Amino acid sequence: MRTPARLLALCALSAAACSSPESDPNPLAAPPGTGGSAQGDFGPPQGEAIRAALTSPPAVPPATRRKHPAKVIVELEVRELEQEISEGVKYTFWTFGGTVPGSFIRVRQGDTVEFHLKNHPDSKMPHNIDLHGVTGPGGGATSSFTAPGHESQFSFKALNEGLYVYHCATAPVGMHVANGMYGLILVEPPGGMRPVDREFYVVQGDFYTAGKYREKGFQPFDMQKAIDENPTYVLFNGSEGALTGDRALRAMVGETVRFYVGNGGPNLVSSFHVIGEIFDKVQFEGGTFHQENVQTTLIPAGGAAILEFRLEVPGSYVLVDHSIFRAFNKGALAILKVDGPENKAIYSGKELDAVYLGDRAASLGAVAEAAAADAAGELTREQQIRAGAALYNGTCSVCHQIDGEGLPGVFPPLAGSDYLVADPVRAIGVVLNGLSGKLSVNGIEYDSLMPPMSQLNDDEIANILSYALNSWGNSGPVISADEVRAVRESTARPGGAAH
Amino acid sequence: MVLGCALARVAAGAEAPGYARVAGGSFASSLPVAPGRNEVALEPFLLQRRPVTNAEFLAFAQGHPKWRRGEVPGVFADAGYLAHWSAPLALGPGARPEEPVTRVSWFAARAYCEAQGARLPTWYEWERAAAADETRSDARGDPAWRQRILDWYSRPSSEALPDVGLSPANAWGVHDLHGLVWEWVEDAGSLLAGADSREQGDPDRMKFCGSGALTLEQKENYAVLMRVAMLSSLPAAGTTNRLGFRCARDPEAGAP
Amino acid sequence: MIASLRARALGIALGIALAAGAAATPSDSLYQLEIPLVDQSGRATAFDRERGHPLLVSLFYTSCDFVCPTLVSTLQRLEAELDVPARGRLRVLLVSLDPERDTPEQLARAARRHRVDLARWSLTRASEDDLRALAALLGAPYRRLPDGEFNHATAISLLDAEGRLVARSETLGRLDADFLARLRAATSAPPGD
Repeated sequence: MRTPARLLALCALSAAACSSPESDPNPLAAPPGTGGSAQGDFGPPQGEAIRAALTSPPAVPPATRRKHPAKVIVELEVRELEQEISEGVKYTFWTFGGTVPGSFIRVRQGDTVEFHLKNHPDSKMPHNIDLHGVTGPGGGATSSFTAPGHESQFSFKALNEGLYVYHCATAPVGMHVANGMYGLILVEPPGGMRPVDREFYVVQGDFYTAGKYREKGFQPFDMQKAIDENPTYVLFNGSEGALTGDRALRAMVGETVRFYVGNGGPNLVSSFHVIGEIFDKVQFEGGTFHQENVQTTLIPAGGAAILEFRLEVPGSYVLVDHSIFRAFNKGALAILKVDGPENKAIYSGKELDAVYLGDRAASLGAVAEAAAADAAGELTREQQIRAGAALYNGTCSVCHQIDGEGLPGVFPPLAGSDYLVADPVRAIGVVLNGLSGKLSVNGIEYDSLMPPMSQLNDDEIANILSYALNSWGNSGPVISADEVRAVRESTARPGGAAH
Repeated sequence: MVLGCALARVAAGAEAPGYARVAGGSFASSLPVAPGRNEVALEPFLLQRRPVTNAEFLAFAQGHPKWRRGEVPGVFADAGYLAHWSAPLALGPGARPEEPVTRVSWFAARAYCEAQGARLPTWYEWERAAAADETRSDARGDPAWRQRILDWYSRPSSEALPDVGLSPANAWGVHDLHGLVWEWVEDAGSLLAGADSREQGDPDRMKFCGSGALTLEQKENYAVLMRVAMLSSLPAAGTTNRLGFRCARDPEAGAP
Repeated sequence: MIASLRARALGIALGIALAAGAAATPSDSLYQLEIPLVDQSGRATAFDRERGHPLLVSLFYTSCDFVCPTLVSTLQRLEAELDVPARGRLRVLLVSLDPERDTPEQLARAARRHRVDLARWSLTRASEDDLRALAALLGAPYRRLPDGEFNHATAISLLDAEGRLVARSETLGRLDADFLARLRAATSAPPGD
């Protein structure tokens, strides 16, 4: 009898290491959590078959509010449509339900979905569907290959809760996805999603056209750009402006909103961020567990995320892909417009709107005067010099100083500068193109770098040089805008240079 | 050389009006003969210069009641068969005479060709003829050739169908192999590429004897992939609005 | 008077019966495809040879050494699940994918090797053209490989007495319960028997 007692004592010390047969955990049991697909089958469907209410983006169907598994019939139609991807730019989209992204499908875990895929007779291509929420070969793709003017049907049981992408998987898959064939299916957890005030449906995608960004006219798909992962457009919901202006998403102060966000790809990963808001809750990757207090969340290509946040302050909140050139140069921008009372304690808004002119305080008038006179053909020397002074201060004065004295050994002076006065036209080139390397001014050697100031226009450079050439003891000529233009035009510029 | 080619074309025309001669030889196909083997040995063959038109198919239907809409057995053509014609023996405004005939099944296309003493081309024959552009018999290495075909795929089907023969002939003297309609081939039902192209190389052995589903070589040749996908998506009795056909023949014995 | 009326009624009834017997092939019957076959005894026959009986039909070839033996044994297992009268009503038709090499002698040898019941089974071949049409009709794609083997999908089709497709199965090596149920229904005694 001593041995079993000793055994029990040992067990008490290291409960994890040993156990009696009765308490031995089944090594094949699911780990703590939802249990995955092994525990996702709630039995056969009950009740009448339900026709799923599909919605077009950015709307989301209402919660199923079901407590039991049901048979849900989903009918989705593929249409190939020519639509605007950007203003004046037409593109042939291949769509589920006539929209990019395709219709939003909402079911409950354990539901049996009877899926009907129809391909409109006007389509040129066969299509199928792979739903990431399907457990089965191809995600349904092998059972749904549908020629134009035909319909396919297959059934699956949604074993896993979560937010899943669906997309066409017909060869070549990348092209079908790039043309907009993706959407989201939400498999609700058995208890349903926590109620919120509003839900929105947004999907990011990258698009590849033969022409450049915003090049007008009909644009065909460019396979090489897609292979090189060099998109022309990166967009929310399939077109520039899909969710801006009067199509912006709308909500009210005090509401909690939920975003179902997908990334159809085909190639890019999204760094999803809402400017001015923080995600209170992120179900990253559309899965079950969540993170809190997140600024930017990664959404993989072919993946999704569920975000929630509460709105405290009115204004326009900009949804972006924080790989920021995509937002501002390729169109990855959407707006959430929030109305309601201000709350200064949380965000004061602009507290002061005074003109901050810095060194230019009280001097900008001279620039305006010179511009007006020039337009009238009556520009005088004095006007040029006064305008040049206003422009010099704050730009050139940063290095060459307000009094033109420069910084000994670092930045050459302009006051009494033999280099400047000797060849005013050369000075134009220096301002436009910059200067580096050794030079001698007033007998002192400088070996510095002046950056090109080609962003200044011809008038500005003419006026600045006129000022410099007529100040601090310099008595030189004035420079005209035409002379500056001549120098600018005769300077070779690299291709794609902005100026 | 050019004169010789022109003479050869004329000769082929005399032998079978409306047909062009396509040379035989070794051809690298995108659809492998067996895994890892792409070279196909093709005999020379004759191919119709243009797809079969509505007018030509109407004449066939007039002489063959079994192939008229409404009389054709359901196992040979589905409910969409010639649906765009105004009547079983009348074209109407929705089907101009010189447009390629569409909404015909594989069985119907076969029957038409048989009635002409011809047959459908095989996939390899079709691919061989279609590899050409206006000046080269094999333009497939040229990305511009691929892009032209992809551009056609990216235009929707709602546009009206042009008449046959309007585009320039290719190097074999054949028109409209691209850019007009999809076309049936004799072995359309057995191209044996999986509908889900992502599963290539992962055959279900109990389903397919031999070496499993063929995998498509040259995956960058999307033009071919899409054509295979299209043909594989339909059963033999299936019809669809942009699918037509043309006939092929073996050369007369003794012809060059 | 009564006798002549009865005679006329009988005549009409006979006429109707005759007309029914000579009814045209239904539009959805696979027997719309009229192709000649040659069986394992060298006899010329046709695809609709078993019209009037429920039929299991499949494509195969004798030198196939992987799936085809499994196909034959699956067919035999399905048969074995039926009671004797039902089995007696069933027919089985195998058509070779390889008409070049599957001569009647080869077919007969295969029949003996697999010990099939030639009273109800036929192993046949057709011309290449006709074979392609039959494969298309059965939804059974195939492709000849350079080494003489075939890439082919294996499917068993169940046709009713009029040649309409009742059920299809791609399950080999084990019993497809749904298909078996359909087979039982198709081979059950007709009403009034």
